[in-house]
Amino acid sequence: MEHLAYDIQSGDFGGAGAASRDLKQHLKRIGAESDAVRRAMIAAYEAEMNVVIHTEGGRLEATVSDGQLDVDVIDRGPGIPDVPQAMREGFSTASSEARALGFGAGMGLPNIERNSDRLRVTSAVGDGTRVSFSIMLRPEAADQGARPSSLGIAAELCRDCRHCLVACPTAAVRVREAQPSVLYHLCIDCTCCIAACDPGALTLLDAPDGLTPGADAVLAVPPALLAGFGDHAVGTVLEELRALGFAAVVPVQPYEDELRRGVLELAATTALPAPVISPVCPAVVSLIEVKFPSLVPHLAPLASPWEALQRDLGERDVTYVVSCPSQRTALLAQQPTAQRHTVTPRLVRAAVLPRLAARRRAAHGTPEPRPQAAGAGEGDLLVVTGVSHVLAVLEQIEDGRLGDVAGVEPFICDGGCFGAPLLGEDACVAAWRWAAAAGAAPGEGRSFERARPYRPRPGIRLDPDMAVAIHKLAALDAETQALPGKDCGVCGAPTCAALAEDIVMERAARALCPYVTPEEGSAS
Amino acid sequence: MKLEDIARELGLAELTPEVSGNVEAEIERGYASDLLSDVLANAPEGGVLVTLQVHLNVIAVASHAELAAVIFAGSRRPDDDVRAKAIAEGISLYVSPADTFDIVGRLYAMGVKGNHA
Repeated sequence: MEHLAYDIQSGDFGGAGAASRDLKQHLKRIGAESDAVRRAMIAAYEAEMNVVIHTEGGRLEATVSDGQLDVDVIDRGPGIPDVPQAMREGFSTASSEARALGFGAGMGLPNIERNSDRLRVTSAVGDGTRVSFSIMLRPEAADQGARPSSLGIAAELCRDCRHCLVACPTAAVRVREAQPSVLYHLCIDCTCCIAACDPGALTLLDAPDGLTPGADAVLAVPPALLAGFGDHAVGTVLEELRALGFAAVVPVQPYEDELRRGVLELAATTALPAPVISPVCPAVVSLIEVKFPSLVPHLAPLASPWEALQRDLGERDVTYVVSCPSQRTALLAQQPTAQRHTVTPRLVRAAVLPRLAARRRAAHGTPEPRPQAAGAGEGDLLVVTGVSHVLAVLEQIEDGRLGDVAGVEPFICDGGCFGAPLLGEDACVAAWRWAAAAGAAPGEGRSFERARPYRPRPGIRLDPDMAVAIHKLAALDAETQALPGKDCGVCGAPTCAALAEDIVMERAARALCPYVTPEEGSAS
Repeated sequence: MKLEDIARELGLAELTPEVSGNVEAEIERGYASDLLSDVLANAPEGGVLVTLQVHLNVIAVASHAELAAVIFAGSRRPDDDVRAKAIAEGISLYVSPADTFDIVGRLYAMGVKGNHA
């Protein structure tokens, strides 16, 4: 680790650039990749110029470790009254002297943001401003081969819809010529691209030989798998999983509970900077490593639940059913041979579903004690938050697959009303603060009957006349088939199926599709 | 195209004959701007900059962006300390009576392109 510090004088236009130039030489000497050096230099120079132009002077401090560069530029005032405004490109309060020299175009902070991997600007009027940024120095080439990834790519399934591009939180996905690829040095092994990929071109890697039960084999499973078979009771699912040929089925839940206890213990001490971050999710750990390197010290130095389970049972023949790429990657990092024994939930579900169905059929005469809808106590309500979860649960209710649930409390926003995008605080933070402040705003409520009855709206019906609607439905299917299925949005409809409906309902012409040839377009 | 050929064809006055290593350099890219943040962010490495700015920070930015040469438009001449700094950094300086638009147009016609051409 190397620490560098430079004084920056107010108004010293001639001497400006010395700190960033010296920093650049240091980075070159340690062999940082040239792109990172260039970005570091641009960010440092802009920060340096900001001190010269706008402040009463300050300091640039840089810490270089092998993985990253952290730069703090601290000035002695006057401070920025409105930081978001200062971050906007084109906004500037520079003097005419600075402008005459070609500065003050309002590009400084935006330039720093563009060229750093993390930027934090804090300012107090009258006091000064601190601009902190980090740049990852790991050479790209070395990182790519070294880091295992558990993201599988089935390029032939790609439809070129590119939803994965915007879904990825680290911008690690590329789709070129209808082939998805991943910049593994950025990939955090989360599930965002998998969730966004309808055709399944992006997926979780499976064990090469599938499920391989053995006489003494243990099947380690996430709680969500056990609770994921509709109204088949968890106990029944456990039985059928064992019947696949496993000596024991071990849920990872107790390891999660133990980790939570450990994190709480650490949080009660001052061993780590507050707040202590639980490493429960390896994808979040990777995200912190990739995008928030300054938060690494906050991570509790404990194994994730899967890693702990593996340490505990590693001597035995364990098959791990992981629910995301990051868990698989974490397991492989501890024990490379785990690759052969890490399977996807899909594989296990495919094996156990027929058994559960057969069991239900066999029990037809004497019905299996199915879980009954529980009493209407508050704790028994199924709380569903986020539009995608709400849609999925409503589908399930419609399909009659939610018999074990007495009541549902659905919220369209992620995290419930705490997650409404207009509130300005993150849903999880606000909900936690509210719970912590329980009783701070006491009051009483009442419930009333509705004044206006519910009434269905004809929104998705194709035609009031059912015979005509059936005809239109057939036409809609044919139109959907004729469109490319790329869901590119160029026609102005969100999906090809939506354009097909627009065509059938005579709201749009087929020629709007950029992939349809003129002859095909006029045929519609 | 070599820097010395560019200088000859454009009739540029060379301000830094002391910088000898550059005249043989092949110049493929160029940039024109008077906003130094813009130059810093976008000027292509090894390229030439056409600008009206003649103060010391131009050299700092040119050095950071690893430019080979700077052409000052509109007969604007830098002070001696700027010249000295450029020599120390190994950056060639030229001055031209033509305006930025004409200089860039002629450079482009000679095959010196921008970032995206």
